[in-house]
Amino acid sequence: MTRSRIFLEHLGDRTIDFFTAVYEAWQLTLDTIQALPQIWFYRRQVSEQIYVFLVKTLPIAIVISVFVGLGAMIQGQYQSSALIPRTYVINVIFKSTIIELCPIILSLVLAGKLGASLAAELGSMKISEQVEALETMSLDPVGFLVMPRVLAGVVMLPVITIFANLLAMFTVFFIASIATGWISPKEFVVGLHMNYRVFEFYFGNLIKPAFNGFFIALVGSYFGKRTHGGALGVGRASTNAVVTAAILIVFFDYYLARILL
Amino acid sequence: MIEVRNLTKHFNGMTVLKGINLDIKDNDTLVILGPSGQGKTVFIKSLVRLVEPDSGIVRYDGVDVLSMPKRKFIAFQKKIAFVFQDNALFDYLNVRDNLSLYLRMHSQLSEEEIFQEVLNAVQFVRLDRGVLDKFPEELSGGMMKRIAIARAMVQQPCYIFYDEPTMGLDEANVEMVVELIHKFKKRVCATAVIVTHDIHLMRAVSDRVVLLKEGQIEFVGSKEEITENALHTLYRTGVEDV
Repeated sequence: MTRSRIFLEHLGDRTIDFFTAVYEAWQLTLDTIQALPQIWFYRRQVSEQIYVFLVKTLPIAIVISVFVGLGAMIQGQYQSSALIPRTYVINVIFKSTIIELCPIILSLVLAGKLGASLAAELGSMKISEQVEALETMSLDPVGFLVMPRVLAGVVMLPVITIFANLLAMFTVFFIASIATGWISPKEFVVGLHMNYRVFEFYFGNLIKPAFNGFFIALVGSYFGKRTHGGALGVGRASTNAVVTAAILIVFFDYYLARILL
Repeated sequence: MIEVRNLTKHFNGMTVLKGINLDIKDNDTLVILGPSGQGKTVFIKSLVRLVEPDSGIVRYDGVDVLSMPKRKFIAFQKKIAFVFQDNALFDYLNVRDNLSLYLRMHSQLSEEEIFQEVLNAVQFVRLDRGVLDKFPEELSGGMMKRIAIARAMVQQPCYIFYDEPTMGLDEANVEMVVELIHKFKKRVCATAVIVTHDIHLMRAVSDRVVLLKEGQIEFVGSKEEITENALHTLYRTGVEDV
């Protein structure tokens, strides 16, 4: 067999695998939506996942938001010159933090933590026949495992992001106004209110995190559900979940901003 | 009654089930016997759609389950319990929650009533209540198998499927499983289908026996009708020693 033929066959296999994965992920999305009417039946699983999401993400959100705030503040101070009023600098820090920095850094870190743990959890359940056991107990694996996780992601990531944004801005305020006295509290508030648009708040705190939460939970569940090949397969599923979720997050970060802002 | 007609399944170009036809009567204990790699597990998993067959018909009391939408079949599965080869206990739940899950999801019983049912099931498999707070990883192989049977018991099924129930168990636990299969049948009156390579288990529990070889049925009949010759022929190419 010639090398070009081997290459083309390999390319063909990869292309088929890619489109199969896209189709299966789309099918899982539809199945998850179809499972939504059963939300009352699976209420215990939904509340468990919301609780787990909160417990797993809160400590990380605190650390990230504090340091994002500190970083943004240092960068803002460093980049500003005597020609730019400090209220403007605060305005830039505020908007870049709530619209971009906090949501995307938090989402990427949570894609690593939650995406990997979701894929590993569902993957080990799959290879030890626990997913099949659910079916034999007359429980829909999508309704029992996937829908609650996706719902928790969509609902809780915006909640966590709002909390993180508040904490990040409080950190900026604390450093800029109280600890260093770089700007007075009154000027700080003026900076926050400058050119303020409510939609930006919705975009950074609700819309974008909801999409990101959906991608993290769905991609983690998808790779977990299709795991095969023992412990090696579980490791592969976790890695794929993290990488794919991260790519989707940055991809839609750009397109959502492009479309909605 | 379960009717199986012309059931076929292929994996990666290999035919694993070659047009199987079989009737399983109500309250029968049917043992499907054969060495490893003959399609036994694929066959019983096809009966409960854990594996989707490529073609064929499976009817439970006249209801064709293969043509049902999957979601509808999952609802139908309340009638069916399955004891997995590796038990498939939920490792993030303790024994109590493993046994309670079905009742919490599908019954209107209070937590107290559910606990009573769980306790009955644990006593049924001859374990004490101390086991309820343990997680699957803290249990021995024999205990896990008994919990898996208790979980099936809680479901009160019309049909129960066992996949290699004695695999990897010592002699004492094998005897325990044999006793539990008998007790289960008396208590629940379910039709039982057991896949095994264990001839001792077949002799101890079966009403009827199917010998499966290379995805085809070689023999159907009572255990008394099986000749040593048939067993020898079946296992000659297998890894098991008759």
